[in-house]
Formats: sequence, structure tokens, C-alpha cells
Amino acid sequence: MFEQRILPPGSPPPPERITVMQGQALVSGDARAELSTVLGSCVALCLFDPEAHLGGMNHFLLAEPPASTRGGPVDEYYGTYLMELLVNQMMARGARKSRLKAHLYGGANVNRNMMRIGSANADFARSFIQREGIELLRSDLGGTSARRVDFRPASGQVRCRHVEDRFAPPVQPTMRPEKATGDVELF
Amino acid sequence: MTTATRVLTVDDSPSMRALLNHALTTQGFDVSQAEDGMAALDWLALNEVDVVITDINMPRLDGFGLIERLREGSRHRDRPILVLTTESSEDKKARARAAGATGWIVKPFDPAKLVAAVRRVAH
Repeated sequence: MFEQRILPPGSPPPPERITVMQGQALVSGDARAELSTVLGSCVALCLFDPEAHLGGMNHFLLAEPPASTRGGPVDEYYGTYLMELLVNQMMARGARKSRLKAHLYGGANVNRNMMRIGSANADFARSFIQREGIELLRSDLGGTSARRVDFRPASGQVRCRHVEDRFAPPVQPTMRPEKATGDVELF
Repeated sequence: MTTATRVLTVDDSPSMRALLNHALTTQGFDVSQAEDGMAALDWLALNEVDVVITDINMPRLDGFGLIERLREGSRHRDRPILVLTTESSEDKKARARAAGATGWIVKPFDPAKLVAAVRRVAH
């Protein structure tokens, strides 16, 4: 048995909700797609190209950097890589970097024992967008409460609501995969 | 007297250029930077370099195109060119190798390993 919804004539098709999990970056140009995520200390970057009618979202929480990298509060080498993955996916689907618009959400300090981690991730995301020269249309970062973000990638529409903390995933930094160690292969 | 090894990094991301600049200058390299393959060709027409480190996905002229153009002439035929990329596919790696790349590094890079690779290929 399956449930069939009867819609009145002329009404827009229902959204196809796709959950963006921590560590993921998803891109879509489907008018029905809605990328959704719930953020506590994590940060989500939403990118949109209004001419290509294409958008994408990532969801990350950076850990402190490994000892071999420079001593910022978060692992900028891995963070920059995660951001580049989303930008490259957008460009591979026809977006132009100069047209990109950004939204940033999350980075709450939900756990009092980990006060710094939400703010540090929010600061990283904001400075990345600034350095890359991408226009930041809207941001809702910091504070102490969790957020739910629903993003229509084809139209760029975003809705961000504050929700109860219990809906946010547990604070667990997005770790570098074991293979992502920057190994060098000489030909 | 020893002179610093000259490195040209080619990447369209200002964030990545800042990380590369930091990783290399703190280890004594003389670093110049270009934002895509075309800018790199313009810079290389007027300047000398010991090692080129290039991204693949870039506007105007990508990393594959840059390597091919550099290998066409005699001046950069033996210049060490390291590819530094988010691409992890074997096809892309094979294409870089066929175009004449010297090495392949997948992001996120490890500053110490990158520096060791640059020292190894510089001559």
C-alpha cells in the first residue's frame, strides 16, 4: 500500500526532500529538490547560481588542526578542501564562480563544554566566503540554539528556523578520511 | 651562497593560495602565485621558476591545458610540475601523467609532505 496525495490542479509539485548529512556536499538543479539539514555547532554553506538555476549545500564541523599544520582554531587545510569540493561540484554542473551567492547557517555553541567549536567553524566559513569574493546574501550564525535549514537549490530560496537542540546531531567533528593524508605520487 | 627554490603555485581559490603561500614561504621557498592557467603562462613568459604546482579545475585554462602548453615548447619541457587537486579519479591522474605532469597530490594537502615533494623534484 502506498499513500497517494491528491493535489488541486495548478499547485506546484511537492518538494523532494534530500537530507544533507554531516560531511556531505550535494548539488542539484531540480526544481522539486529541497536540501534540508539540522545544525547545532555544525555549519552549512548554501551556494546558488541564479543564472544556472543551480544550488548546493554542505554541512561540516571542523576539528582542531593536526600538529603538522599551522595552529589556527580549526583544520583550515581540510575545511578549505571541503569548501572547494562544493564549489567544484557547482562549476562542473555549469555554475560560474563569479555569479555565486552564499548563505551561511549554524555554528551555535550548543554545548557549554565546547563553547569554542561553533564560533570557530562560523568564523572559518565567513572568512572563506570573504576571501573567495563570493557575495554573502544572508547568514544566521552563532548563538546557542540549533537550526533547521531548508534550501531549494534551483531557486535559491532558503528557510532557516531555530529548533530544539535535541533535533541537532551530536557534536562530532567531520574527521579527515584516513586516506586524505596529502600523499604525493611522483610519476 | 644558495638561492631559494622558486615555486609558482596556480590555483583559482584565494584561500588555497593563502594556505600554499604560508606552507612554502615558511620553509624558505620563493613563492609566486597565479590564479589560473592563462595567468600562469603570462607570468612564466617573463619569469623563471624551478617548480610549478598547479590545480586542475580552473577557469580560462585548466591544469591539463597548462601542462600541455608548457610541454609544447623547449623552455619548460623538463620543468617539474606537481598537480595538486581535489580530483581523486584514476582517469584524471592518468591524463595528467600523459600530459607530462611530474607528480600528483590529492587535497587536502599535508604541508610537510608537499614541501618534501617540492624539494625532491626541484633541480
